[in-house]
Amino acid sequence: MSAEAKEFKWVGTRPVRPDGVPKVTGRAQYGADYRLPGELIGKVLRSPHAHARIRSIDTSKAEALPGVKAVITSADLPDHDFAYIGPERVAQNFWHITRNVMAREKVLYEGHSVAAVAAASAAVAEEAVSLIEVDYEVLPHVIDVDEAMKPDAPLLFEDMVTRGVEPTPDTASNISKRLEFGIGDLDAGFAKADHIVEESFKTAAVHQGYIETHACMARFDADGHGEVWSSSQGHFVVRAMTAKLLGISPGNIRATALEIGGGFGGKTIVYLEPLAAALSRKCSQPVRMQMTREEVFKATGPTSGASMTVKIGVTNDGKITAADATFNFQAGAFPGSPVMNACMCAFAPYDIENARTIGYDVVCNRPKAAAYRAPGSPISAFGVESVLDMLAKKVAMDPVAFRLKNAARQGTQMVYGPKLSHDGYVETLEALMDHPDYKKPIGPNQGRGVASGFWFNGGGESSATVHVNDDGTIIVGSGSVDVGGSRASMALMAAETFGVDYDNVRCIVSDTASVGYTHVTGGSRVTFATGIAVHQACNKVIDDLRQRAAMIWDVDVDAVEWRDGAAHPAGANVGDFEPLTIGELAAKRGLTGGPIGAAGTTNAGAQAPGFSSQFCDIEVDPETGHVQILRFIAAQDVGRAIHPSYVEGQIQGGVVQGIGWALNEEYIYDDKGRLENAGFLDYRVPVASDLPMIDAVLVEVPNPSHPYGVKGVGEVNICPPMAAIANAIDGAVGTRMCELPMSPPRLLAAMDANGADGDD
Amino acid sequence: MGPTVQVRFTEGFARAFTGGVREFEVEAKLLRDVIRAMNEQFPGLGERLVEETTVAIDGMMHETGYFQPVPPGGEVFFIPKLEGG
Repeated sequence: MSAEAKEFKWVGTRPVRPDGVPKVTGRAQYGADYRLPGELIGKVLRSPHAHARIRSIDTSKAEALPGVKAVITSADLPDHDFAYIGPERVAQNFWHITRNVMAREKVLYEGHSVAAVAAASAAVAEEAVSLIEVDYEVLPHVIDVDEAMKPDAPLLFEDMVTRGVEPTPDTASNISKRLEFGIGDLDAGFAKADHIVEESFKTAAVHQGYIETHACMARFDADGHGEVWSSSQGHFVVRAMTAKLLGISPGNIRATALEIGGGFGGKTIVYLEPLAAALSRKCSQPVRMQMTREEVFKATGPTSGASMTVKIGVTNDGKITAADATFNFQAGAFPGSPVMNACMCAFAPYDIENARTIGYDVVCNRPKAAAYRAPGSPISAFGVESVLDMLAKKVAMDPVAFRLKNAARQGTQMVYGPKLSHDGYVETLEALMDHPDYKKPIGPNQGRGVASGFWFNGGGESSATVHVNDDGTIIVGSGSVDVGGSRASMALMAAETFGVDYDNVRCIVSDTASVGYTHVTGGSRVTFATGIAVHQACNKVIDDLRQRAAMIWDVDVDAVEWRDGAAHPAGANVGDFEPLTIGELAAKRGLTGGPIGAAGTTNAGAQAPGFSSQFCDIEVDPETGHVQILRFIAAQDVGRAIHPSYVEGQIQGGVVQGIGWALNEEYIYDDKGRLENAGFLDYRVPVASDLPMIDAVLVEVPNPSHPYGVKGVGEVNICPPMAAIANAIDGAVGTRMCELPMSPPRLLAAMDANGADGDD
Repeated sequence: MGPTVQVRFTEGFARAFTGGVREFEVEAKLLRDVIRAMNEQFPGLGERLVEETTVAIDGMMHETGYFQPVPPGGEVFFIPKLEGG
């Protein structure tokens, strides 16, 4: 598949990334790099217990320590009403959020923030933290989702009753919410099936694993105005949440996005920013904070661990007749897992007349779950795509052909309600089928596994500005944090729109005082939505430039057309004018009206969903249970790749994170609910030596609702790998793995139980 | 009578807010008209739609707002709002 878009000059090309030089020379400023004169260092006291009531906190000794400038507890942050505000999937309840940022009545997980200190040095701050005395009443805890759902489980919230159940329960529960989607008639659908497979699965909670730990700087002045600099996926969200948690207007905070060393969804919320701001407000000095890796593991992210049951029926000729699934998701210490997404995405790649998904959102004594790459969808895909593999074997069909037979197309009824709006899935399956490696033979103890995934992709609110410099070079400012190459893709789309060289466009990430509201860099939304804002701003400037050329030529603006970076007479009858380049027009800006610039804003809709289909070849070591990835092919409908190298990087990154989720990553707790592997030595993410080159196949089915055909590309690639690898393991050694991670000891135990030892 | 559109809700949403009725036909040119019409039938529902849903207009996903045009005879399906990572 070629990603090179021939009809464009810049879109689809691979110029050198604009953030490359500062990053490789070490000049890029990440969250922990920013410095201010007179800054203090902030540190957090965290709970040693998984679940405990806070009887009292005594900060007097810490406050008396020389060098300590401020100490805060939850008493320094306003409390909030218990109310779910905003959309249900991300219904924000600031009664919960303020308690996650700093515990009040109880600590709900090991690592839960209890107090914070700002001091003249890190050493003093650490000593001060150790001097804070907290009197805890330790309570029973619960870690596992199935245990947490039991009626006799320790309760995190003694007054929480399950929403979405009728009649409303009269007893408290750790189940925050039940939800259900359905179409058709399940019983009738299963009655038509010749084969039915029902299987249960478990997935581990996994962390987003960004290399850069959370870090920020905050400064509050005596006039009540403050600034925050941090590593985040959205500085407008940092501003909004910090303001709300401090009880001030967002207009009193200016937030600046620093470079980000990975987020993957985990930096769409705040942890340190409100604490640094509250400390700074208390002592009127800048406060810098940075988490250790241990703090990141214990107090941020991860995505949910889950248990689920999936049941699917097919006819002898491989047509799915019915599908039913129940998903139980750990939300962590506060409600709000991505179980709704799991329910909506689970069967989305398929045309199934009769389907139902049920989800449960369950609190337990773990850190509050945060978004992670296509939140929820990879978890449901593991169960669904594993069962599909079992069914394909039952009807003796090639797994890609089986999926093709049942593939959703534009107009297919989705289990969550509307009809599918865009094609793209079939094309990814055809790309796999046509891939030369799909026909290659495999050897002893080797297996080939196939799986697919779906993600909605996002749109929403974005803003951009465009300014033309004296010489015709162009500055594009956007409100989108550059996580995955958005400065390059925005500059490419601007260069294409203006018809100027890419090197003449510079793109920056503007702060919250310099550009309009822009939602987070997440949900695979930025190239689509912010790209529309940039395109809009460019066209406003082009209209202005045409007006100015018309003024210079003394003709009507309709007689001026814009192409190749210059104003041209629209026809021979307009007059004998030489084209006016953007540089020549910029040089006459004062004469024609002053500075040249415009803003673009959008609430972008009609985004297209993403589909990914993948296969991998693996080899199982029958003596150790180690799985070696031999080959990994990932085909994804990307709409149109604006900068193909970045798109390939997104696909490779998603697959690698999926491989880690599949084979190694998990949270290991002791019997007191304390995390035992809070570091990269013991929480093992894949490294380069574990992996083959991931072959990213760019399938381009353009989205007609975007000026350059863009679809989101950042997330769906993480959905298929877990099932693809499980399916490959089954092919290699005849052992169906239903629990993640499929680590060597777990696989070895399953093989022993199954009597499998691979091929001799 | 002006152009009409078909309004649909998920089962859970309908059970909670429209007495279990999942399908309606209302006069509308903009999504604003749909939200107003539904709010007239079920007071308070308009705010729920704005706060809690994403909308699929003939399958195309949008954030629920006032400004989106709705085509005559089109399907307007309100589903739970989505966010990603």
